[in-house]
Amino acid sequence: MTVAVKSWKALGTSVHVLVTSDDGLGRATTAVREVLEDVDVVYSRFREDSELSRLNARAGRTIGVSPRLATAIDAALRAARLTDGAVDPTIGEAIRLAGYDDDFTQIASADRGPLTLRAWRVPGWQAIRFDRRLRTVFLPPRVELDLGSTGKALAADLAATAALAAAGTGGVLISLGGDIATAGEPPTGGWRILLAEDSRVDPDSDGEVICLPAGGVATSSTTVRRWSRGGVALHHIIDPQTSLPTTGPFRTVTVVAATCLDANIASTAAIVRGRAAIDWLIGCRLPARLVENDGTIHYIGPWPDPTGVAA
Amino acid sequence: MNSLTPTQRDRGLQRLRRLTFGATAGALVAVVGVSYAAAASYAGKSASSSTALNTTTNDSGTTTSTGTSQSSTTTSVPAATAAPTTGSSGSGTVTSGGS
Repeated sequence: MTVAVKSWKALGTSVHVLVTSDDGLGRATTAVREVLEDVDVVYSRFREDSELSRLNARAGRTIGVSPRLATAIDAALRAARLTDGAVDPTIGEAIRLAGYDDDFTQIASADRGPLTLRAWRVPGWQAIRFDRRLRTVFLPPRVELDLGSTGKALAADLAATAALAAAGTGGVLISLGGDIATAGEPPTGGWRILLAEDSRVDPDSDGEVICLPAGGVATSSTTVRRWSRGGVALHHIIDPQTSLPTTGPFRTVTVVAATCLDANIASTAAIVRGRAAIDWLIGCRLPARLVENDGTIHYIGPWPDPTGVAA
Repeated sequence: MNSLTPTQRDRGLQRLRRLTFGATAGALVAVVGVSYAAAASYAGKSASSSTALNTTTNDSGTTTSTGTSQSSTTTSVPAATAAPTTGSSGSGTVTSGGS
């Protein structure tokens, strides 16, 4: 079975659309572009005119939100509930104070001098009052939402659903910066996925490869999206308990789940939880691959034997 | 003071038995109804146990395995619908990594 591919850049990362029906690629690509453009307008943290930026600027008041933003907030709050707050959308101020306050290309381009960071606990997702039915949100004063962790994975799931509907037949795979969602019938043997620290690694490179029959895959890593302030390296995964970049034993975690969103929730939570993540992932029955800072790899659940993998 | 005739006493006793039976049956229906409503509202979930393989491989390729048992909870991230397989087959390779 042949697979047609289209790639481009959006949301500050790479986008890959794969379809199993050649004639569906154009329609699927158009559908994915529409979803991603809408996501950017609705919940980008780096656009002053995004609906999320306007919501954050109006903390202290009850605000009505669009269906798309309501869906994203609902997903973020669900992530917080499922992880006991390890993945918390109220890290907005913390990640901004850690220096990630602009488009990442601007952040990474130069060291803008030392930062004074202090440890404090983020306000916590319980502080948000969200009415799903009325689509209203109340953020306490000074609380800023960051939907980056779950937002990208949710966008991949939404894009996959839209792409399959547009293609009309077969199967689709959407990769947004290494967060992968699938829909429809996979190619024979499944979708081949190379596991790497960095999603920019050429997929034909040597390395561990798995085949995915359905669902989603997400990888969270502290080795990419790093920046430097005053010579100190920082990264984008924030521990809600300290408001600082995580310092746990795992540098990269990959999880397979029913959806890309669920995989991302689990992989991000595993980085934040540290050693406790192993038992937590086993309890969730989620296949996972955890890479320690020294390179030691832990495989959780029904993960294929890495020694039997043909790279 | 009026004394009851045997007939009147028998009728009174029969009425009392009917009331007792009715009250008992009503209470039983109420217990079943409340129990059903409670069970439907708080369905709960049986805790099934499973063993997951925990394999460790270091950079030199050494592999060790241990088994760990855990119970599922109703508030965990849903399990994968299909497990991944080895990458010797399949098509359309993409990379999953940090970004």
